[in-house]
Amino acid sequence: MSKLGEYEGPVLEIDKLSISFFTRLREIPAVMDFSVAVQPGEAVGLVGESGCGKSTVALGVMQDLGVNGRVVGGTIKFKGRDLAKMSKEELRDIRGNEIAMIYQEPMASLNPAMKIGKQLMEVPMIHEGISSDEAYKRALEVVTDVKLPDPKRMLDSFPHQLSGGQQQRIVIALALMSKPSLLILDEPTTALDVTVEAAVVELVRDLGKKYGTSMLFISHNLGLILETCDRLCVMYSGEAVERGSIEDVFDQMRHPYTQALFRSIPLPSADKNARPLVAIPGNFPLPHERPAGCNFGPRCDYYMEGRCDQGYIPMDTVEGSERHVSRCLRFTEIDWDAPIAAAITQEKAPIGKVVLKMDHLKKYYEVAANALFGGGEKRVVKANETLSFEARESETLAIVGESGCGKSTFAKVLMGLETATDGKIFLGDEEIQDVPIENRSTETISSVQMVFQNPFDTLNPSMTVGRQIIRALEIFGVGANDVERKQRMLKLLDLVKLPRAFADRMPRQLSGGQKQRVGIARAFAGDARIVVADEPVSALDVSVQAAVTDLLMEIQRENKTTLLFISHDLSIVRYLSDRVMVMYLGHVVELGTTDQVFAPPYHPYTEALLSAVPIADTSIVKKHIVLDGDIPSAMNPPPGCPFQTRCRWKDRVPGGLCETQMPPVRTLAGKHQLKCHLSDEELAAMEPVIQIAAE
Amino acid sequence: MDPLTWTGNLSFLNLPLLFVTGLFVLLVAAQIVIWLISAVTNTPNADGTISSSGGGLSGMAARATLWAFYALVALVVAYVVLGALLGQSGGILGAMSQQFLPVWIALIVTYALSIRFKRKLGLYGKLFDSTVGMIGFGIVMFWTYTAVFSGVFDMIATHEPLSQVSGMKNKIPGTPLRGAEEGEFAFYLLGGDNLARDVFSRMVLGSGIVMVIAPLATLFAFMVGITLGLPSGYYGGKVDTILSFLANLILAFPVILLFYLLVTPEIIESGIPNYMAAFLFVFPLIFVGVLVNSRFHTQPQKNLLYLVISLGVLGIGYLTVISDQSTVIRVLPASLDRFDIEPGILVVFVSVVFVNSPTVFRIVRGLAMDIKTRDYVAAAQTRGEGPWYIMLWEILPNARGPLIVDFCLRIGYTTILLGTLGFFGLGLSPESPNWGATINDGRKLLSIYPHPALPPALALLSLVLGLNLLADGLREESLRD
Repeated sequence: MSKLGEYEGPVLEIDKLSISFFTRLREIPAVMDFSVAVQPGEAVGLVGESGCGKSTVALGVMQDLGVNGRVVGGTIKFKGRDLAKMSKEELRDIRGNEIAMIYQEPMASLNPAMKIGKQLMEVPMIHEGISSDEAYKRALEVVTDVKLPDPKRMLDSFPHQLSGGQQQRIVIALALMSKPSLLILDEPTTALDVTVEAAVVELVRDLGKKYGTSMLFISHNLGLILETCDRLCVMYSGEAVERGSIEDVFDQMRHPYTQALFRSIPLPSADKNARPLVAIPGNFPLPHERPAGCNFGPRCDYYMEGRCDQGYIPMDTVEGSERHVSRCLRFTEIDWDAPIAAAITQEKAPIGKVVLKMDHLKKYYEVAANALFGGGEKRVVKANETLSFEARESETLAIVGESGCGKSTFAKVLMGLETATDGKIFLGDEEIQDVPIENRSTETISSVQMVFQNPFDTLNPSMTVGRQIIRALEIFGVGANDVERKQRMLKLLDLVKLPRAFADRMPRQLSGGQKQRVGIARAFAGDARIVVADEPVSALDVSVQAAVTDLLMEIQRENKTTLLFISHDLSIVRYLSDRVMVMYLGHVVELGTTDQVFAPPYHPYTEALLSAVPIADTSIVKKHIVLDGDIPSAMNPPPGCPFQTRCRWKDRVPGGLCETQMPPVRTLAGKHQLKCHLSDEELAAMEPVIQIAAE
Repeated sequence: MDPLTWTGNLSFLNLPLLFVTGLFVLLVAAQIVIWLISAVTNTPNADGTISSSGGGLSGMAARATLWAFYALVALVVAYVVLGALLGQSGGILGAMSQQFLPVWIALIVTYALSIRFKRKLGLYGKLFDSTVGMIGFGIVMFWTYTAVFSGVFDMIATHEPLSQVSGMKNKIPGTPLRGAEEGEFAFYLLGGDNLARDVFSRMVLGSGIVMVIAPLATLFAFMVGITLGLPSGYYGGKVDTILSFLANLILAFPVILLFYLLVTPEIIESGIPNYMAAFLFVFPLIFVGVLVNSRFHTQPQKNLLYLVISLGVLGIGYLTVISDQSTVIRVLPASLDRFDIEPGILVVFVSVVFVNSPTVFRIVRGLAMDIKTRDYVAAAQTRGEGPWYIMLWEILPNARGPLIVDFCLRIGYTTILLGTLGFFGLGLSPESPNWGATINDGRKLLSIYPHPALPPALALLSLVLGLNLLADGLREESLRD
């Protein structure tokens, strides 16, 4: 089964594509009037918030829309041939052979009951009918290409024996097995940690060049698109709103939505006072409630009644650049260089006295080797090692680290769901490290509360919003009777800027951002002094993130709350925190004010983390640091420094000290703490990771 | 008097029925064949619906099948409606239809109200969006209303279940009574059994026994299963190991042997069933008590009030039920003990609850293990909620979907179990009109006189089928949003 013949011209050409889903009640248009062309060897990004139809486009290209989905207009041409006119057999030939797709969740793309080698070999054996020996050779070659250690052993293992990053590399290898001419990547790194993500993104980019594959890269992250793609297409509510080269769209955007999107994401390069976050007002329209005329109209700053709200709005070419188009009637009239309307600068409440103090906190878990009868040898998981820090009133302390670094364990110990193995936690003057939550006083409990990560999981789906807040009030002993509590609940809804009518709604009637607001209201029900926010915005869409972040900061200003902000997103950390604590494998590797942490000298891990964060700004030059391998398991940490297995500075430390000795905590100027063996001279010579390019 | 024929004056409908049924079967078969040989493609319509067409042929076959099905339904409805109007001149079917008149009226009222207000009725209302669910619910409600009208209002049934009429032994359906008195129903509609009792009346009255014991026993099994399954799944560890082991032990025990043991006179004498009842029936008290207390413990006054009311009512009920002057448990003085369960029924009840609760336990445990990892459970923990509040108010309501479906299926299972027990003559008295015992009676002369055994068997079949369809409909609808 050979490939399609040589074809000059775009690999993929989508022209005025419209896709609808059909339900019992109505037709739901998911994609409307969408056009894009992918030239050979080109990488095109598709950006938009969840529900904007970007994945539907990918499924449309694969001709895999399910029972209810249907292409209702336009054409998808692959190498000049209309995919809709192909027979099932022809399509089967093309899928996996000519067009390959990589999905978000690597484990879901791999067959858990089949060895990796076999899954890889299957692809060319089916599509090209080559012998198994030849297929094995090809598999070995591709696995080496995706930079996996020990390729032979990899081929002989099952998917569950690999880490998430390795699995995603295998999925990429699987897609490359038949040397496709088009690769569709649907949020390929969302499930991965930042440093692993950076490595995978680099891999994808290099392989694209090596194999000459065209790519359609779907992501909600503008930074990632900047790093991987040549051109991009911004989608909003089923339509492409702006299309052009990276430089055109990033620097000379000509659509209000693109502009609003850029203004709502924090950039680690920018100062929070000079460039405040501007949230996009309103909500994303549901597919069957789209407004007439421009879909973005109701949320647009430049909306003009009578013009933007009627009729069909076509894509129009932007003067001055050839392949740059925008779906806006007014883009020639808008002053695109106007500075952002000065946000009301709010005076931050002064940082007060110490409210929380951790002193050499340790948390170890014992894992029995033999689960059924206990006994046997026990292994110790060191989830937190000698955690020491202070948090003050109205201060935001960010806790940064990737999965497995011990930040969740730390939150559990603080909340009292677990007790500490060693060390002390002072809440005010009270020692709480050994007091489990059932023995804590109501006051202690209500003063330390938590905001959770997943908005779809944070509220009980079978209780009304009001009832859940009232329950928190009841348990915290707020209010003398039901009437008072109801009043207080309504006030809390006001506090998080939700309409009071929401009290009677069920959680499923709320959007993600609204649910997260209810979660915040619930956490502040008992006038919490310390709020642990566990990645409170990472699961939200960018345009909503800014609003929720601002809300948290505003409440903090009013209530003088101490915010412990757990996150892996350094951009947002830089935007809102006063001090930053970087954790790795249960250790605090760096602790200092935001400016100290984001400027050299860095801890080598912080340096890598900063370099890994994708930044949506073309004027930024980043130092390129890619970490090898994965985070070691906490069950079996490396000897010496926890970071030594991936550290690029290791050879600068004489005597192999990193591999044998745990580095001491060093205090540099201005109480900046580092846990590293590097000499002062080496640290002082470090260059900043993020620099604004010289004009 | 002449014996009744099956359809009487309705016989003009027989030929069309035969024809339509035949056509329907043929069309269904044809559709399967067409489906096998041709590929179906879906095309969207302008109004936003989607229709399938496969060269016109399969579409045509599908439409024809649908029409045949409608015709079939219309004919069945015609039998029922005309029968109810004509009464005995409509033959056996007509007479039966007339006897069931209160049930038809109740069903029509139920459906009219439910469909009218279905958007306000939550999951129950959504049931009326699913054809399968509606059919299942219809069958279940048919037997429920039959049980209510025959058991409470003494309607439907034509004769006493135990009265024997001379000359009616093993008589075929529609046989007139010899010398029927004024006011007495003049026919044995479904014939007489080998003790000359009316098969129709026994079948109708048998529904009462099933419809009381099966849902109640299932409810108790759920109380036990939930009260033990939640902590097992939530805490895990040793609690889970011990409780799961006990559940496995009960599940591994041969059920029929257990039943035989429980009805042995020596065992009854020793009071084991009564002790078991005392143990199993206490679970609803624990359940409700913990439910109320965990919810209101922050408001002591309200808490006390609700606890006193709920536990008071349940406590009195509990004591009167378990206390029985003739057995070992005599907690209440005779003057207060107004209500006793018949010992046979108690044994049946206890055994059914006993064998069903471990399965419920395992379902609840699995659901609890899944739901306890959710953030809202963590949120409840971090605001200092007690474990029972989390289990009963955070976990249980979110496990309700699968539990409701299982509840329906389990009533069906219990119904079969009751039939089995009756069939073996365990527990319920042999002459009571329960379906299992009736089938067993009729079985002996099955090759000569099939009519006494078939009606209860079909009744059992239809009820269980209805419950299963209802469960299917509920599952389908609860998965939809």
